[in-house]
Amino acid sequence: MGRTLAFLISFVLLSIGATSALQGAETVWSGLVIAENVAQPQTIPPELTRIEGSLKKFFGYNQFQVIGQSQKTLKTGQEDWLATSKFFGLHVDAQGESPAGYVLNLKLYKEKELLLETDAKLSKRSPLVIKGPQIGSGQLLLVLVIQ
Amino acid sequence: MKTFEEKWTAWLDGQLSGRELAEFEASLPDRAAAEAEKADVRKLGALLKREVGVSAFANEEFFSHQLRERIRESSVPSAKWEAKASTWWTIPRLLWTGTASLAVFLIFTVFVIRDKNPAEKSQYLTQILNARVDPVVSPNATVSMFEVKQDRVTVLWTEGLQSLPADYAAK
Repeated sequence: MGRTLAFLISFVLLSIGATSALQGAETVWSGLVIAENVAQPQTIPPELTRIEGSLKKFFGYNQFQVIGQSQKTLKTGQEDWLATSKFFGLHVDAQGESPAGYVLNLKLYKEKELLLETDAKLSKRSPLVIKGPQIGSGQLLLVLVIQ
Repeated sequence: MKTFEEKWTAWLDGQLSGRELAEFEASLPDRAAAEAEKADVRKLGALLKREVGVSAFANEEFFSHQLRERIRESSVPSAKWEAKASTWWTIPRLLWTGTASLAVFLIFTVFVIRDKNPAEKSQYLTQILNARVDPVVSPNATVSMFEVKQDRVTVLWTEGLQSLPADYAAK
């Protein structure tokens, strides 16, 4: 009887622990990406592999290069961070967590000039892509993925 | 004053002596028959003594045997129970229990994930709540949004943002 009880308690704790681990802190990858059409495209960065098809289909480019990125592990859902390149900065301000994901305020800066601002509810399984300004023959894209 | 029966019993047991013995034997109507009866009684006494002695020993054996049986009966069930209790968690049973627990855990995990997925297809897609473009920098800019169900990608599509030279693509 005692052993059975101990076994049941262990099983329940193990289940709870595993469930908690599944729902633990998550990392948001934020990237500034330049999309271009080139003769010999480079391999797509690993962070974009899962959405490679959609990127190529909807933006019509064959090469995607990361010019700035940031990885932030969210613990409270209230963190903020910055992904920067030489001229651009993407400021991300997390404003809380919900079962659907994180509420984020995004601001794209060109140097100190605010180009675009948006509020989004970023789902844990649904990446966000923002089409930015045209740069030369390419396009600036902002990508946010929960890893 | 002893009765005849008392004297007869005492005579049979050889407990009369002296004058009393002589008077009693003289009073016997048939001395020979009485002596024969006395001899029979002694034989019977010897026989009973022997037999009673044996039976007493047998009874002792019997009771001790019964006692041992009782003790064994009362101790065997608990011993069996202890044996059962101590041997229930054998290695194969532990393995089976572990496997069954793992299976139950996996089933629950699958159910939890399956419960999540249907919601994610609709409610759990990333949602754009609002978007603003600086009207001074890009006065003709527009924004729209759509979702790519295949990869569950949400896209914020802007048009009319100020174009920039290629130098801005620097890392």
